[in-house]
Amino acid sequence: MLLAASALLLGVPAAAASAASSASAGTGWIRLAHLSPNTPPVDVYLYSFGNSNAKIVLHHVAYGEVSPYEAVTAGDYSVAMRAAGAAASSQPVLSTSVTVKAGHAYTVAGMGPKSGLRLQVLNDDLTTPSGKSSVRVIQASLKEQTVKFTCGGQAIVPKATFASVSSYQAIPANTWTMQAIGSGSTATARFNMAAGTVHTMVVLDGASGLEIVNLEDAAGAGQPPAGGVTTGFGGTAGHGPGSSAPWLAVIGAGALVAVGGGLRLRRHGLRRQMNTGV
Amino acid sequence: MPLRGPAAIAFAAGLVVIVGGTAGLLLTRHPTPALRPVAAGVAALPVPAGPIVAPPPSAAARVPSPVSLTIPLIGVKTNLITLGLAPGGAMQVPTSGTVAGWYTGSPRPGAVGSSIIVGHIDNQHGPAVFYRLPELKRGNDVFVKRADGTAVEFRVTEVQTYLKDHFPTQTVYGPTPDAELRLITCGGAFDPATHHYLSNIVVYATQVR
Repeated sequence: MLLAASALLLGVPAAAASAASSASAGTGWIRLAHLSPNTPPVDVYLYSFGNSNAKIVLHHVAYGEVSPYEAVTAGDYSVAMRAAGAAASSQPVLSTSVTVKAGHAYTVAGMGPKSGLRLQVLNDDLTTPSGKSSVRVIQASLKEQTVKFTCGGQAIVPKATFASVSSYQAIPANTWTMQAIGSGSTATARFNMAAGTVHTMVVLDGASGLEIVNLEDAAGAGQPPAGGVTTGFGGTAGHGPGSSAPWLAVIGAGALVAVGGGLRLRRHGLRRQMNTGV
Repeated sequence: MPLRGPAAIAFAAGLVVIVGGTAGLLLTRHPTPALRPVAAGVAALPVPAGPIVAPPPSAAARVPSPVSLTIPLIGVKTNLITLGLAPGGAMQVPTSGTVAGWYTGSPRPGAVGSSIIVGHIDNQHGPAVFYRLPELKRGNDVFVKRADGTAVEFRVTEVQTYLKDHFPTQTVYGPTPDAELRLITCGGAFDPATHHYLSNIVVYATQVR
């Protein structure tokens, strides 16, 4: 029994380790955006596919507004836009489906002019080269059909046309002057682009002229440490519950021998009593 | 009758072995678990005072730096020191086993991204600040207090054990689109030759809002 107990003790660390590794979270992220300049505010609904009860409803989302990311279980979803204040049961103006993969992030944006409004699903990057920042540009200005987008004076998107989305580019980590240069107006802004961060620059029609909005898509360690972390000295390693096992085994073995010997003694004693006819 | 001698010897020998084994067990037992009852006693640590704040609406908002960490379930309440990289590029670790540290190369807790906090599981003599970290489960609460007195609440989403030789750098340190926390300590087998544990335990948590 003691042997069994010691085996049980030996088994404890392994069992604890496996229990700690819970199932992967299995979530992805969605954010919703209104980037159509001449479209009035909308209500945006996110549905888990096949479920008519909305998971998220954003009311009165105006041009230029972008929601924070929502963590959602990986799977199929649909996004619907209705005019602000329209009944949830009414026919949506637009809808689209999006498949969320675990560990991936998406922006679902209303894009284009009102006459050609569409819901576009963008894959958002969650990686950046070590020590660098990543940036992409969404051109959502109708005033300027085409803009040149520069970072530190260098054109990173030479010709961004209305309702286009550039791919991500790695840029050195720094505080940069960004410019959106159209034929009639220019927007200038300075942004800190830290190492390990991913950004989307949105060019919008401002009250007058252009505007640049800096969305932080994701952030991580700018200089990821190499390998694992040395966070233990072993003070509990050699002396934890598991290390009692050898001694318990010795005790168990002793108990077996003693019990065996004891039983024999007892049986021997009984036989002797019977033989003597007591 | 001839059986009686060996049986008695076996019985006596067995008793001697039991006594010896028990003595060995008691003599070599380290006083390490002493911290456990203490920790269990403070299992109902109060949630830190100060308003719990939601993540900033935009990247422009500056999140204050972290000053302390509280994990009620496992009795952790520690100040946070700041950590950088060691000369070889590995993560610097606290010189003391009693405090945890925030890696300044990672986002501040509550800002968008994966914020890194590391602590020792033990020192040379016994348990250290993150000794009970492996007990955390999905759904447990973690609080970080910031320099402005506000606290940010995180909830554990998963607990993973990785061999240091196969440490998933991108998964642990890579960018995330929401405010997350990674608590890292050692675990797995201890290699007495190198005096290092072979694995890391990583607790993943996301901000509650």
